[in-house]
Parts: sequence; structure tokens; C-alpha cells
Amino acid sequence: MRKRAVLLVAALTALSLSLPAAFTKADVKVATLANGLKVLLVEDHNIPTVALYTFFRVGSRNERTGLTGVSHFIEHMMFNGTAAFGPGEFDRRMEFQGGSNNAYTADDMTAYTDWFPPAALEAMITMEADRMQGLAFVPDVLESERGVIASERRMGVDNDNDAILNENVRATAIMAHPYHWDVIGWMSDILSWRRDEVMAYYRTYYAPNNAVLIVAGDIDPAKTLDLIKKYYEPIKASPPPPPITTAEPPQLGPKNVLIRKEAQAPSFQVVWHAPKANDPDFIPLSILAKPLLDGESSRLYRRLVREEQLALQVGGGVQETIDPFLFTIEVKPRPGADLDKIDRVIEEELAKIKEQGITAQEFEKAMNGVRNDFYRGLQTVAGKVNQLGTYELLYGDFGKLFTVMDDYAAVKIDRIRDVAAKYLTETNKTIGKLIPEGGAK
Amino acid sequence: MKKLAPISLACILALILGALPARAAGPALPAPQKISLSNGLVVYVLKNPELPLVSFRMFVGGAGSACEPAEAEGAANLAAALLTKGASGMDADAIAEALDFMGANLSFSAADEYIQVSGDSLAEHFPRLMEIAAGCLTAPAFKDDEFAKERARRIDGLKAAKDNPGAAVRYYFQKAYFGGHPMGHLASGTEASLAKMTVQTVKDFYAKRFRPDRAIAAVVGDVDGAAVKALLEKTLGRWRNPAGPAPADAIPPLPVPQGHKLLLVDKPDATQAYFVLGAPGYAMGDKITPPAAVMNTLWGGRFTSWLNTELRIKRGLTYGASSSFRSWIPGGIFQASSYTKNDKIGEMLDITMELLGKAVRDGFSAEEVESARNYVQGQFPQQLETNSSKASAYVRLAFYKMGFDYYDKYMAAIRKVTPAEAKAAAAALLPRKGYVLVVVGKASEIKPLLAKFGTWQEKKITDPGF
Repeated sequence: MRKRAVLLVAALTALSLSLPAAFTKADVKVATLANGLKVLLVEDHNIPTVALYTFFRVGSRNERTGLTGVSHFIEHMMFNGTAAFGPGEFDRRMEFQGGSNNAYTADDMTAYTDWFPPAALEAMITMEADRMQGLAFVPDVLESERGVIASERRMGVDNDNDAILNENVRATAIMAHPYHWDVIGWMSDILSWRRDEVMAYYRTYYAPNNAVLIVAGDIDPAKTLDLIKKYYEPIKASPPPPPITTAEPPQLGPKNVLIRKEAQAPSFQVVWHAPKANDPDFIPLSILAKPLLDGESSRLYRRLVREEQLALQVGGGVQETIDPFLFTIEVKPRPGADLDKIDRVIEEELAKIKEQGITAQEFEKAMNGVRNDFYRGLQTVAGKVNQLGTYELLYGDFGKLFTVMDDYAAVKIDRIRDVAAKYLTETNKTIGKLIPEGGAK
Repeated sequence: MKKLAPISLACILALILGALPARAAGPALPAPQKISLSNGLVVYVLKNPELPLVSFRMFVGGAGSACEPAEAEGAANLAAALLTKGASGMDADAIAEALDFMGANLSFSAADEYIQVSGDSLAEHFPRLMEIAAGCLTAPAFKDDEFAKERARRIDGLKAAKDNPGAAVRYYFQKAYFGGHPMGHLASGTEASLAKMTVQTVKDFYAKRFRPDRAIAAVVGDVDGAAVKALLEKTLGRWRNPAGPAPADAIPPLPVPQGHKLLLVDKPDATQAYFVLGAPGYAMGDKITPPAAVMNTLWGGRFTSWLNTELRIKRGLTYGASSSFRSWIPGGIFQASSYTKNDKIGEMLDITMELLGKAVRDGFSAEEVESARNYVQGQFPQQLETNSSKASAYVRLAFYKMGFDYYDKYMAAIRKVTPAEAKAAAAALLPRKGYVLVVVGKASEIKPLLAKFGTWQEKKITDPGF
């Protein structure tokens, strides 16, 4: 659930090509408070709703062994009380005023997402500012929330074969960098985090100078900024968090994951090391993913699902991350399918692309897909806010949202062949298979 | 993620049909232009030039899964899916290539009471999208090999679904609750029904039930009124009604569970147990809808609901617990669901039952009811924010004959819901005596914890079907 949502965000933001005239950089008012909090404001009266998103520069990338999953745990604890507002008060007050909220944690960031009627603006700013540094971590509430996270892990990973394989493949492909573990964290860490460790982590990363606040929708920007100053200015800046210095060493040869467990259907996945979002090779790789994996006309859907009938579904691509992550091909095999044959078909198709590149028709199709994804991501106020925040955190500049189209337009078709040959190699590859044992044949 | 995203269409429907705009100014849903095509098909059109996007939605009534003959379970959805697998001189690859080239979506799928058609594209590609949609709808090829492939994928998909207990429990519930009633038809069909199905069954279903005189459509986006009328006439306008009258398609009244029907499905590798509890709800458009929406918001419909508060917030038993109403023309159901680690399922069900009793016995405070009224109203505007959500709303309201001012009237009704009415809705609708309860989990661990609820029918997850 969490992971899929994050992948979707990445896909939408990775594939931005062209901007609607209705939404330009000039629509975004920018302010930075003395304590380092960056504020973006967008006035949009299309519907009588406000979207208030707070992004923190912290995710599972900032964790260490023993504290895996703690970024996500703090995301949950953010709803569990401060000195000013007791456990559950945030949600109760917000819902009373007609608001709702959610939050997500990714490898590189944590976002808190509130949607509410304009009349609730001051109440929401009050409570958001309060929980930026005021969390109480009441011990019995902390223990109860630990159970919620364990249930989330059981639902999202332990009782989902594709997710089990996903976690194992990631941890095999990436051995040194903190992307080694999934955002949810290892179960033994979930069951063992100590209150003092969690609080120290919160104090390190939850500070105005490590956050971006975006408010958009049915607002008056000047009045909104006044409210933000009133409630956020008293919050002190913290020392900058330590940089992440671990770099993943080059992979020296192909790796394999083989899991045998009770299942009706197998799972299959293959990954290669890919560049970070802010690398010139990232956009060509994200373009490559479209004709290879996206839609029923894609090369692998045609081969694996339609022609050879080895699979039920095909998907994957690159994920926008601060440090280098993975290019993923996920295949849902049909029960009884030959997984080695799936691997061979993928390699055959990749070999063609490495030799001949993609066709002009495929290139144009990819660009049309990019434009569709981009506009769809901007259909809602919430979508605009999420895009702005993601760009600000990943690239350090929300303005890139308004120029990324130029980056896509500048890509020459030959670059697709070049990046396929450079990254999707045998040495760089990890294959994962989950083979059913027991159960129905 | 802090919470589960709204899981089912049921939730979305409940939100859409049970919610209100926060502002009194102007209608919740702008009045569309009504276009009648020469074949009688009515299309509602709304221009929105903000982004260069267009959404198309259509329902074909009487062609859903619950309209299938008993022996043809799965035919509606299979017929729908096969429309894009060859039609009007294009084969499946050509259709996929044409759609993907535009970056457009076009899908045909079966709900219980209707076929839903969804199409979304850039404005510049909308004429081509409608050409393809009309081609699929009017002259599908229904080729044998495409039928065989789709059928095989569905059979395998049903097997794969059993690896995910959260998904599987909903299939088991649908079968346990509705039994042989047509609402028990799985859109996908079952392994048994698919094994017996022929391409002729699918062709017959299409020929009889996919017809413009039972369809309602909407277009919302960056379109021009005059041009869109000409386009729709040239495309959907050439869809012809079959010779005979539309088949009678009234779905019989929904079954009412007598006593407690309990089903335990053994999944030996499960580390959590998943439950769905269901009982009769109310039909689409029923007068009880506003108080029921307020009551459900408080009982299990939002994050701070009683159910989520007791199971998640206070006890940390689960990542999520919720309830919802689902409504159709012949009736509706109430559903509550959650999951927890195997050794806690007994405690979880005890608390759920207690909360049902408490709502009926004590009702809700004035402050709670005020909060729910505000919540339902405050969450409404986002439900109609996009082109596709507006197009869906036109089609849904027209299909259920509720009128485009439905949301405005509903707002007035929600604002007036009193604690007494919310309590009455709980008494009328929350399950007490008759219900269906399905649990999927590791039987060897959870069976002793479930014994106190009554006698359980048992199945193995590896048994064919649901």
C-alpha cells in the first residue's frame, strides 16, 4: 500500500513533460522564515478546499540497522499527541471541522497531507506547527502504535508474496546503502525500537530547517503567510542532520534470490542498479520504461502476456530517488509458468533495444504518455501540491517542475539505446523468483 | 502510510452519494448540456478548459454481472474485456497500440447492475479515442483465440487472488452472503463457470444486452459543444439497438441472512486473520441514506470512528478497521472488516460485536453527530474535483434516476440529521440477529478462538472456487 503509493508519485513526477498555461511558476508564492522553514503558497479557488502538505527531509534513507522503519513509525506517532493536544486530538479536531488527512513515508521523505474546508485553516496551522517539535511519545500509546505498524507489515509484506520477493530482491541488490531495507523496516526492529532512540531521531529530523510547508487551494496567500509566521516563527531551527555518505559499491556479478513458500502463483522480479533522479541518464531510462513495460502494446506485455502467455501482468520502471536506486521489471507469472523462460524473453527484448534502440513511433508514444501522466497529476489541488513538494525535496527546487518538460524534449532517441546498454547489464542484475510449494498445483 | 486508502468502489459510492458541498452558493454539480443522439442515446456534456484533458464515462444498464444467466457467471465482464481485443477491422494489438500511442485509457468492465465504459485522453486525441470506443462497442470480433486467452488469464488470476487473504476474504464473503442470488456473481466468474463458458455465451450476452437504449453517457473536459455533438453522433450515434425489446432485467430482492452464517477459510501460511461481517443495508436512494451516512461515519466510516478507535487507536490490533454501506436498485448491504494477528481475532470480533450493540443501545452524542455532519460536508468538494469524477457523477445520478440536484438536496438533509435519527439508523441497519461472518486465516490457530461465535462452515483456501 505505502510502497505502491510512493511508486505512483515517482512515476508521475518522473514523467512530466509540458505545462498547462493555467499553472505556472508565477502562481507559486515563496517565502522562507528566519528559522529556515520554506513555504510555498498557491491560490486556487476551483473547489472550496485547502490542501496543506508538510514535507520533511527524512525517510528510510536516514535510518540505521536497529532503527529500520523508524521514519515511518514517527509518521504514525505524529497523530498520537503532544503536550498541547492529547493522543487522538489532531484527528478528532480536524474531522470535527470537516477535514481529513493522511501521510506517507518514502525512502527519501515523509509527507503529511491535510485536506479541509477554508474555515479550518488556522486550526490546522496551529496543530501542524505544534507537532513539528512537540510530540509527547506517551509510552503506552507508543506500544499500541507499535502493534499497528506490525499489523501493517503483516498486511503489506508478510502476507503478500510479491512484496516478500520485492523486499528480498531489494536487500540483495543493494548491500551497503540504506535503501537496502524497505520503508516499513524489519519486523525485529519494529518490535524493538526504544522510546529514547525514537525521540532522538525525531529531534534530529523534525525541525523547520528540514521541512517544506505547502498550502494550496481556497486561500488568501498573504493572510495564510501571516498565520504561518504567527505559529511557526517561534519554532527553533535545529543543527543540520548528518549527511548520508554511504555509497553503494559497484555490483561485480549477477545475483539470485530464490524463495520457496506456500503459494498458488509464483512471483518474479528482476532489477538493475539505476542512477539517482538528478542524473542525466535518469530521464532516458524513464522513457525506456514506457515502450518496454507500459500498457498492452509494450514489448514485454506483448511477449509475456499475449504471445507466450507466461504472465498475467507486467510492470516496473525507475523510481525518483536522491541516491541511486533500481530499474525494476516485475512480472506476475501464471501458475506453473517457466520462470527461466520469462527471464530469457526479457533478455531477448533488452538485447534488441541495446542493439537497435526503440523506434520513432515508440519514442513519440512515450512522450504522449509522459504528457498524459503529467496533466493528470495536476488535475487536483492535492496533485499540484504533491508535485511541488516532491520536486522541492528531490531536486532542491520546486521550479524544476516547470522546466522538466525541456529536459524531456531535449532527449535524443539514441540515448535510450545507450542507457539500456549501460545499465541493464548482466553484471548489474539481480533476479528474484518465488516458487510455490504445497497448495494447489 | 497512516491509513488505508479508500479500498472499494463501495466506499467511493458511499462518499459520493452520502456527501455534500460545503458551500451553499451554486449547485454541487454544474448543470451539463444534454445531447440526444439519433439512436436515442443521451450524453451529458460539460466544458472544462482548465487542462487539455477529456473524460468519457458510460453505463450500459441491464448488462452487469447480476444480469447474467446463472450458468453464465463472468460473461458480462468477459464480454466487456473482449471488446478491446478486436473490433471493426482492428485486432487486439492494433487497438492497444492506438490507445497507448495517445497515452489514453479505454476500459470496459462489469459492475453488478451495468457495464461501465471509461475513456480518458488528451483533448487533441479525443476524436480518435471515441472512434476506437465506438468501433469496439458496435462491432466486436469475439475471436476464439482472444476468448481463450482472456478466460485462461481469469482462471489464473482467481488462483493468484487466493495468495492475498485481504482480497480473497471479499470473494468468499460475496459468495457466502449472496449464495445463488445473482448479486453473488463474481465479475471475474469462477474457475468452474469459466471452464464451462464458450465464446457463444459471451456473444449472446453482448447481442442481447449491450444496447444504446439502456445506456447513459457523459463527456467532461476541454471540448467544444458543437464539435462534440458532431463527434458523438459520428461515433456512438452509429451504435444500433438490437431488434427485440430490452430484456427484463429486474434483479430479485436481496437475500436476508437468517441467524448467524459463519464461514472459516483455512490459509495455513497466514500470519493475520481477516474478517468481513455483513448484513442487510438499504436500496439506492432510500430515505434513510442521510442518517445512515452520518451513523456509519461515526461507527466505522472514518479514522476516528468507534471501530477504528477501539481496534487500532486504543489497542493497536490492526492497521485498519472500517465499515460501509453498499446500495443497489434491489437493496443494499452493510459491511464491516478488519484484520489482526492470528491470536487476537477472537478479541477483535468481541469488540466489534460490542460496538454494534452499543450503537443500537446508546446511540451517539450531539457533538459526535455534529462532527459527522461537518466531516461528510467538508470532504465532499474533492469528490467532484476532476473531469472524470464529474462525468461519473452525471452517469450514476442519471442511471439511478436521482436528478442532478441530488447532492444539493442531500446537503439539506445531512445538515438536519439529529442524534435520534442517527440512533434510529443504527437500530434499523446495524446487524444484531442475522448476519454473515467470514474469516480467512490459519485455522489451526484461530479455530479455538472462534468457537464461541457458533458453528463454522469450513473451507480450505486451496479448494476450487470460493
